[in-house]
Amino acid sequence: MAADELITAVIVDDHAAIAAGVGSWCAHAVPPIGLIDAGDRLADVWTGPGAAADVVIFDLELVPGLPNFGELRRLVDIGRRVIVYSQHTEDAIAIKCVDLGALAYLTKREGPEHLVPAIRAAARGEPYTTPSLSGAFIADTAADRPRLSQREVEVLRAWFVSSSKELVAAKLNIAAKTVDTYITRVRVKYANVGRSARTKSELVSRALDDGLITLAELNQTETSL
Amino acid sequence: MTADLFEAALRHGLRIATLLAASAIVFGLGMANLLRHMDRYEPALAQFGAMAALGAVLAGEAALLVRGRTWRRLRGLAITVVLGASALSYAALPDRRTSTEIDWVFGAANWVGVVVLLDRPLRSCVAFLVAHELTALLHLLVFDHPTQQALARFATGSVSVVGFPLCVAVMAAILHRLGAVAAASHLEIERVRASEAGTAEAHRRRLRRYGELSVATIPLLEGLADGSLDPGDPRVQRRCAIEAARMRRLFAEADSVADPLLHELRHCADVADRKGVAVELDARGQWPVPPVAVRRDLTEAVLTVLATAASRARVTVVGDADLVSVSVVADCDEVTAPNPASTGVRVEALRHDDMVWMEARWQPTS
Repeated sequence: MAADELITAVIVDDHAAIAAGVGSWCAHAVPPIGLIDAGDRLADVWTGPGAAADVVIFDLELVPGLPNFGELRRLVDIGRRVIVYSQHTEDAIAIKCVDLGALAYLTKREGPEHLVPAIRAAARGEPYTTPSLSGAFIADTAADRPRLSQREVEVLRAWFVSSSKELVAAKLNIAAKTVDTYITRVRVKYANVGRSARTKSELVSRALDDGLITLAELNQTETSL
Repeated sequence: MTADLFEAALRHGLRIATLLAASAIVFGLGMANLLRHMDRYEPALAQFGAMAALGAVLAGEAALLVRGRTWRRLRGLAITVVLGASALSYAALPDRRTSTEIDWVFGAANWVGVVVLLDRPLRSCVAFLVAHELTALLHLLVFDHPTQQALARFATGSVSVVGFPLCVAVMAAILHRLGAVAAASHLEIERVRASEAGTAEAHRRRLRRYGELSVATIPLLEGLADGSLDPGDPRVQRRCAIEAARMRRLFAEADSVADPLLHELRHCADVADRKGVAVELDARGQWPVPPVAVRRDLTEAVLTVLATAASRARVTVVGDADLVSVSVVADCDEVTAPNPASTGVRVEALRHDDMVWMEARWQPTS
């Protein structure tokens, strides 16, 4: 899509206040983002105006206590760009959503300063890593987690702690753009392991094309740091 | 030696003495009388049987004494054996001979019964002695057609037969009660000592806290009270905010929680929250519980920054077994990083535009 085209997103969330709040953030974003409110009707994501939206903002728990990973997988499998917006702060759930192919995972404590950039990144097919997801990566002790470099861990940690890329750059004495590079590399490494999804393979191949990461680095699979 | 141990030793001694006395009476006096009048019994074999039964009970007591145990469930059986031996002896006693020399069991079985019942309440001994006395009285009344003289002899004999063992039983009961009283006072003394120790510890803790508060909080309060410090001065307000957070932290230190560091950080954050700063507190990883002094160094950075935060702050803890890092990021004026008192703690401050990031790190191994 062209850069000047209006980004559209569809939100599935049973809480009217959340949808209204996100709608307001999108309307006030510069440039604004068009938001379609599907309420709690998953069908509206698949048909009608929701089916054409660039980004799906998906409440993981439409039924309380039952994270709907199945629906997330179906949306990702058909090529939708999904942002999971969840009240869950558990790291394992965040990592599972990323593994299923969600481009961003936001907890509902994270506001427009993360949701708006996440929608823009997702519309481009790029991942967005919030501080909470960054925290999940640094605390990840799963046996099949990808191997991260020391610098990548430092950046993730600083991003989790400060929630400001300018501060991360100042603290670690690197350019703000380099901060993004390290975070993206981590996402590429995570995308390279586990389940395959179209969003993930796009991410990996683009990173290889751009020289962001090399095949050799991607294939370092030892889990010990 | 504590009072209850002393009492136990006394009771042990009394038990041995009673056993020796009973053995001497049964095998000395009783046996002598039995042998002397052997041809008078009907038959003598029954008397030897009774003697053997009493001997068996005394042997049992000796065995239990050596092993430091009591009769417990066998007590009823032993008393039955004693009363049975007594009845057997009377059945084989010639008529009109109750409470004479020939009636050896009258002055012997009573002692054996007392030996068995020495550690029981006094009423058990009394009941046994009455039963023993009644056995003899029954024989007297049924077989002896007693004369006035025989009744007088029986009464005289009963004084010693019931009286002496009863004295021993009373003494045992008194010792028993003394023991109970001694044990109760011992417990009371222990309780008072424990409570005194607790009070002293609480007093020490309060003195220590007072000492800590006297460095910063008390001069601040004094300054506010005598007007030398202006409550409208932002620096004074900041000092107040820091002292309020320190006091909250001090109170939180006494709480028993799974993660004291996070618990105390929550209290520090709460103080800032109340004055309208939106504080996020987030943590990742698992870390060993730092000692109080280290926790103070780690939280000090946070409360210093929070005291001047204008509107928002993010407090995070990231830790593992080798490093615990507490960070605070807030929109606030320039702050000076506090000097950590503990070794192994480092504090770094970074200022970027209007944001301050202060980080306190602790390496448990150093």
